[in-house]
Amino acid sequence: MKTIFLLLMLAGLSPRAFGAVGCDLNDPDRDAARLFPGYTAYKTRYVSLRPGGAAQLARVEKRLGDKFKGLYENIEVPYTLYEIYRGKELAGYIHGVNQKGEYGGIQVFLALDPKGVIKSFYIQKLTSRAAQELRAKEFGAQFEGLSLKDFESYDPVAGKAPAGSPAAGIKGPPAAGKDFSAVMRAVKKNLILMDEFVFAGKAK
Amino acid sequence: MTIYTIAYKNLLRKKTRTALTAGGIALSAWVLATLLGFNRGYQQGLNKDIDNMGFQVLLTAKGCPYEAATLMLKGGVGLRYMPADVVKTVFKNPEVDKVTPMLMHGVFDPNKGENGAIAAYLGVDAASFPGMKPYLDFKQGGWFTDNQAYEAVLGYEAAELEQREVGDKLLIPGVARDIRVVGILNRSGTQDDGTIFLPITTVQNLFNRRGMLTGLGIRVKKGADISALENRLYDLPDVQVVSMAQVKSTIMNLVNSARVIVLGIAGIAIIIAMAGVINTILMSVMERYAEIGIIKSMGALPLDIFRMIWMETALLCGFGGAAGIGLAFVTARLAEAAVRYFLPYAPNGALVALDWRISGFAFLLITAGGLASGIYPAWRAARVRPLEAIRSEGE
Repeated sequence: MKTIFLLLMLAGLSPRAFGAVGCDLNDPDRDAARLFPGYTAYKTRYVSLRPGGAAQLARVEKRLGDKFKGLYENIEVPYTLYEIYRGKELAGYIHGVNQKGEYGGIQVFLALDPKGVIKSFYIQKLTSRAAQELRAKEFGAQFEGLSLKDFESYDPVAGKAPAGSPAAGIKGPPAAGKDFSAVMRAVKKNLILMDEFVFAGKAK
Repeated sequence: MTIYTIAYKNLLRKKTRTALTAGGIALSAWVLATLLGFNRGYQQGLNKDIDNMGFQVLLTAKGCPYEAATLMLKGGVGLRYMPADVVKTVFKNPEVDKVTPMLMHGVFDPNKGENGAIAAYLGVDAASFPGMKPYLDFKQGGWFTDNQAYEAVLGYEAAELEQREVGDKLLIPGVARDIRVVGILNRSGTQDDGTIFLPITTVQNLFNRRGMLTGLGIRVKKGADISALENRLYDLPDVQVVSMAQVKSTIMNLVNSARVIVLGIAGIAIIIAMAGVINTILMSVMERYAEIGIIKSMGALPLDIFRMIWMETALLCGFGGAAGIGLAFVTARLAEAAVRYFLPYAPNGALVALDWRISGFAFLLITAGGLASGIYPAWRAARVRPLEAIRSEGE
């Protein structure tokens, strides 16, 4: 009875209660096949910073080196995590985040192996003067093989990484301007969130 | 002990049967209240959507009027053009209070989605458009400084989608110059929420459509004869007149046709529920045949028995009807979501608008139907012959 009551209460809630906006793949079947060739199945999980509360949000912001801002960056945002399987074996994860760019919202997805190393980089939504270059294979390929430790020193506020660090080696298209920094911030945020939601828990 | 208490206790003697019958009545009441609420909500929403357009008549370039109306309601594009000097011609009509020219332009953005998509921009007149849409208020900033400014005002959802704030830049594919966001509208619940507004001259210049319009909104003076104006506008060459009243009546006619079918189904559900009531009460009378005989032999009049049985029916229908109406209130949002999913066009706002009038009407209808179904079992009970009934108990 309690469950029914709760469900009815949920149904009656205003849509504003679900106002936080997540980031889903537009076509998960197609994208999973493209990012993980030979995959057999995927599971979709919804995670958020809500269970960890303000403490987890503060930790994520500290690790990112920047504050979360706006509708796409708050404690309520539901993140969609795709767990990709080949047979019974976990092949990796696909996870995307929203990021404010110079001309509009950007959606950056990463395909990670089970250890958190980037296998593929994919921009789903982008409005930019350098959209073509940022979506190019050559640009995305620079992220492959990197993981969170390679981005830890990246400063998203200044938009710079210390010289010699792997993140400093990623070259943005000249016309990309602030959108390159936005993409870099999105990648770092994505990796930190994956660490919070998946890898840190596994390590424990 | 009152007759109400006796009737109530009688119903409680067969709890499952009573609950099932009341459940059937509740479902009928739920369907009826939801449908009536939907009818009211849809009509209110449609009226509001059309009133919120700010004008009663729309002129567009020649084309299919229904397509134009639907595109307009959806905030889409109608890529046929009419000359801008039509504004002067329209203003000559004495019925016209205000006009506002509009130019909608769609641009293919190859970077939108997987295979690219059309991004639409609505050029509006900074002087006349805000006056036509008094309900639009700003979350941030305000309207453009003039009709040639490289500025944009974003509807609430357009701004949310693109994460834009006042002072941010907007990129129009193929346009070298940046557009600055000067205003973000509050949520209005209309198609304006998803619209990107630019000054009309800017749109004409940017897309090489100087002196062209896609639409002209016309507000008519209070008490003016709209039909006479429409008839005169029909004579204008290469333009078509979309009357909001006609759009409204066309959509409502379509919805009404569907409603007749659904109300028919609701009627059948009510009849089935009533048959259930007759069956339940009649069965209860038969089971208490001897008991009724004893009550009569103790002095109860046929009218007393009739009232007692009829009261049982009234209580059953009352409880069932009230539960069904309560259920309709609780599930109104779910029903609304389902309607929005299945209907190609649904207006903004609450689609299932329930209030005390609708609830009261549904309750009275269900209760009246229930009472009518209770007449026969009550009459059968009232006609029981005491001696015959008591004797039958022994047999």
